[in-house]
Amino acid sequence: MKQFNYLAPKSLPEALAFLAEHGDSAVVFNGGTDVVVRLRDNLIAPEYVIDIKKIPGLDTITFDEKTGLTIGACVTMNEIGANEFVQKYYPYLGKAALSVGSKQVRNRATCIGNIVNASPLADTGTPLLANDAVILAEGPEGKREIPIREFFIFVRKTALKKDEIVTAIRVPYHAGSEGVYTKISRRREVDLSTVCATVVRDGDDWRIAFGSVAPTPLRLVKTEELLRGKKLDGALIEQAAELAKTEVAPIDDVRASKEYRVTIVGLIVKRSLEALAK
Amino acid sequence: MRTVGTTIDRVDGVKKVTGQAKYVDDIRMSRMLYAQVKRSPYAHAKILSIDTSEAEKLPGVKSVITGDYYKKRGGLYLEDKNFLAVGTAKYRGEAVAAVAAETLDIAKAAVELIKVEYEELPAVTNPVEGMKPDAPLIHPDLGTYKVAPIFHPVPGTNISHHYKLRKGDVDKGFAEADYVAEHTFYIPHVQHVPIEPHVAVAQYEADGKLTVWASCQSPFAVRQALATSFDIPLNKVRVISPYVGGGFGSKAGTTLEGIVIPLSMLNCGRPVKMTYTREEEFEDAYVRQGVYATLKTGVRKSDGKILAQKIEYVWDGGAYTEYGVNIVKAAGIACPGPYDIDNIWCDSYCVYTNHPVGGPYRGFGMCEIHFAIEQNLDMIAHEIGMSEVDIRRVNGLRAGGATATGQILEDCGYQDCLETVVKELEYDKPCEQVAPNLIRAKGIAGGWKSPSQPTDVASAAIIRMNEDGTFMLMTSGQDIGQGSDTVLTQIAAEVLDIDPSKITIRTGDTDHTPYEWQTVASRTTYCAGNAVKLAAEDAKNEILELAQIKFGCSKRDLELKDGYVVHKIHKDKKVPLSTFALGLTLPDASGIHGPLIGKGSFVVPNNVGYDQETGQSPKPVAFWTVGVNGAEVEVNTDTGEIRVLKMISCFDPGKVINPALYDAQVEGAMVQALGTALFEELMLKDGRILNRNFVDYKIPTADDMPELTVRVAEHEEPTGPYGARGIGEPVMVPGAPAIANAVANAIGCRFFRMPIRADDVLKALKEKKAQ
Repeated sequence: MKQFNYLAPKSLPEALAFLAEHGDSAVVFNGGTDVVVRLRDNLIAPEYVIDIKKIPGLDTITFDEKTGLTIGACVTMNEIGANEFVQKYYPYLGKAALSVGSKQVRNRATCIGNIVNASPLADTGTPLLANDAVILAEGPEGKREIPIREFFIFVRKTALKKDEIVTAIRVPYHAGSEGVYTKISRRREVDLSTVCATVVRDGDDWRIAFGSVAPTPLRLVKTEELLRGKKLDGALIEQAAELAKTEVAPIDDVRASKEYRVTIVGLIVKRSLEALAK
Repeated sequence: MRTVGTTIDRVDGVKKVTGQAKYVDDIRMSRMLYAQVKRSPYAHAKILSIDTSEAEKLPGVKSVITGDYYKKRGGLYLEDKNFLAVGTAKYRGEAVAAVAAETLDIAKAAVELIKVEYEELPAVTNPVEGMKPDAPLIHPDLGTYKVAPIFHPVPGTNISHHYKLRKGDVDKGFAEADYVAEHTFYIPHVQHVPIEPHVAVAQYEADGKLTVWASCQSPFAVRQALATSFDIPLNKVRVISPYVGGGFGSKAGTTLEGIVIPLSMLNCGRPVKMTYTREEEFEDAYVRQGVYATLKTGVRKSDGKILAQKIEYVWDGGAYTEYGVNIVKAAGIACPGPYDIDNIWCDSYCVYTNHPVGGPYRGFGMCEIHFAIEQNLDMIAHEIGMSEVDIRRVNGLRAGGATATGQILEDCGYQDCLETVVKELEYDKPCEQVAPNLIRAKGIAGGWKSPSQPTDVASAAIIRMNEDGTFMLMTSGQDIGQGSDTVLTQIAAEVLDIDPSKITIRTGDTDHTPYEWQTVASRTTYCAGNAVKLAAEDAKNEILELAQIKFGCSKRDLELKDGYVVHKIHKDKKVPLSTFALGLTLPDASGIHGPLIGKGSFVVPNNVGYDQETGQSPKPVAFWTVGVNGAEVEVNTDTGEIRVLKMISCFDPGKVINPALYDAQVEGAMVQALGTALFEELMLKDGRILNRNFVDYKIPTADDMPELTVRVAEHEEPTGPYGARGIGEPVMVPGAPAIANAVANAIGCRFFRMPIRADDVLKALKEKKAQ
């Protein structure tokens, strides 16, 4: 780990000013569970580390039916898992948050960090993607709202500009919608996803998001299209599961083979649809 | 008995749970320097040049060394190893240069400034390929290396040891058999992953004294290796091993000591420290060797009796096999498992590869070969229409049976263990479909292990009485978490008939604690335990010699009782032990004898070598520890996930000294075995480790713990202290094959390789469906 300057701005404008000045050589530091690992491994060597945790107002979760759920940038995974609105309206998001790392890691790790890190297998990526969440960012030119589907660009690449800071994520509320989160991993605790997914049913509308099967978390639009407005039965579920397998492009890696991941995609679609059909 | 056979709290427990136990990394000394290492990025490469000039210029850098600084080879059984690569780098991650600097950060920065030019050489990444005559040679000078006489390198090849066992007449056995099958298994490398990584501090002082603080299992073996490597007399080398945070074999030999020592010699008086990162632990500490195991078995179908077995073990020894050759030998001696077979032919080969260095790992080859042996048995049973239990009843060793080396066992608890596990596991109940995608099934496996040590290795202990009748016990059997400090204390307390709290044990300082060959081979309770028992008996005898003067009677009428010497008949006549602490004061105020010290020296009785051509010997090992594991698994046929629901162990440990420690050892072993069966593998590609961290090298968590049951079938070991045998490693041996057999029983697919991952299960199910 190379030496760096640690800055802890007390306000968002102060943070943005730092970032405007040092954007190329700075990294925003939130929970640190990704940044510290990357610092230690010399994958990044910033001159400035800008800690946003001292900025007031970024650590709250709010909910109303009109706006939906708003998760502040510094809200931890454990806080999301324990939040009453999350448990009531987005239980699968809570489940995803609590599937990250260990309890100790979740006391530090944030959902916003998980999204900004833009790993293809981000555990909280799929519940947000399946809800068309909106990333709230702020930069020198003011506030900007980025739909999550436009936010993920590639492995560790997002639409966020160097001088912008994500302040929150907004998850729209759809009355009566239900969802299922699934994580398949080599070990049940403290492991990365081999495949993760969220399937949300919103009336006759279906939204299906998968992680770890492509360079970014992915919506299975053709499968969603196939299901839209139709009555679910065994044949349709099988058809959807088969179609889903064609929409993903996983790779072989140390965690699993491509073939395994594809099989699991079909299985998760099938199981999720069966669970939501009831 | 007073304390043997009873659970007492660990004597090191309070210090460990309060965090007050000091480990090597806790050592901070004034003017300490920090070492870091430059590692080879190639599996096999000629080192053309090393330019250290830029590193040397960096402020705060004190010394930079390369293999040229110290070219002498060393090694425990085969002197094939340099601490820093000389001429060629033989595995990816091998140390080629080292730096000592004022701070860790400076040392790391300096390493980056070292420039090494390599010429990449063709690499050997598979031992079977490596045995072929046209394979690239990793040690072209093998024929000139110094080697212990029981090992047989084949010069001009990559074979660093060929162990042969020839018992009976296998051709005749196969001819008589009416069923013959051959199966090959592959067991990949795994790593020990001790919580505490390897760490050492060395300080060389002006008077020529070298002190090394190392997290090591075997301070005397380390002292010997370092003294030989650096040409220092033994009285000038002091190795101190304080608390050790787990070893599992990986800290049995020398690793980074050889790097910090030359750096400390160049900086006279200044201590030099190096602590491995987890990544270094994976790439440059020992790993468990991979092995290809082929078993050809001839069976009499009518009763399942095995008439002949031809066995080949081809071990992936890695770049240096100075320690690994002995694992290959141990596997050869134990080659058929705990089964009584008249005709056996075994070749066990240690093969150099351009892989991380293989070394001792809990089980010393046994976990690996039993993954093959025990699955092979189940397969044969199924193929000849016999139960998995019956084939073990027929072939399993019993009293009067013969081992592979022709040793006749006077006693053997294998059959008792088998019956206990079968009963406890309710093995006769069939597998169960608990949901459309969930199948539960059971599996069993046996196993055995002996201490894989030279026949004449020695142990010593000293016990001193303090002025108040308490004792200081000194040995160099190291407590590496297994609980030996507690067990050895109990053995001494039993002899002296005092509460164990009256004894303080001290270990691991070659200047002060007496000789112990090594803390390996599941030998500490047995070997160090025997030495401690002898020392305590010596002290007891000294006490009684003095007491008979004091009492004015014969010592045979006296006994030690709860801190007193008591007259056996006139029980009111007693004096506290402290009376004799400094000798005895006579009525005329004169003293005799002086301070009371007991000493004990032990070497395994009647242990003899084996014939080098046939491997035959009436008693090549101290004892055999045998046992059986059972496992119940649940396989998810949708995801391929395996959950181990239950594991049961029944072993013959001789006499259990401390039941709670016994249970803990066995439970830990079963979970470690579970890890290797389902998760663990050092994934190697072209010599590179793809998963050298806990992100992708998975070991079990609390969530993976099955319900664990521990049973014993105690058949006391006549030569053991209070009848005890070693158990630390043997109890891990049957775990993985028991799980593999359960999985095979669940889904009808056999796995010839571990770990068995969800991915493998789905693939196998798919193939089965296609057939």
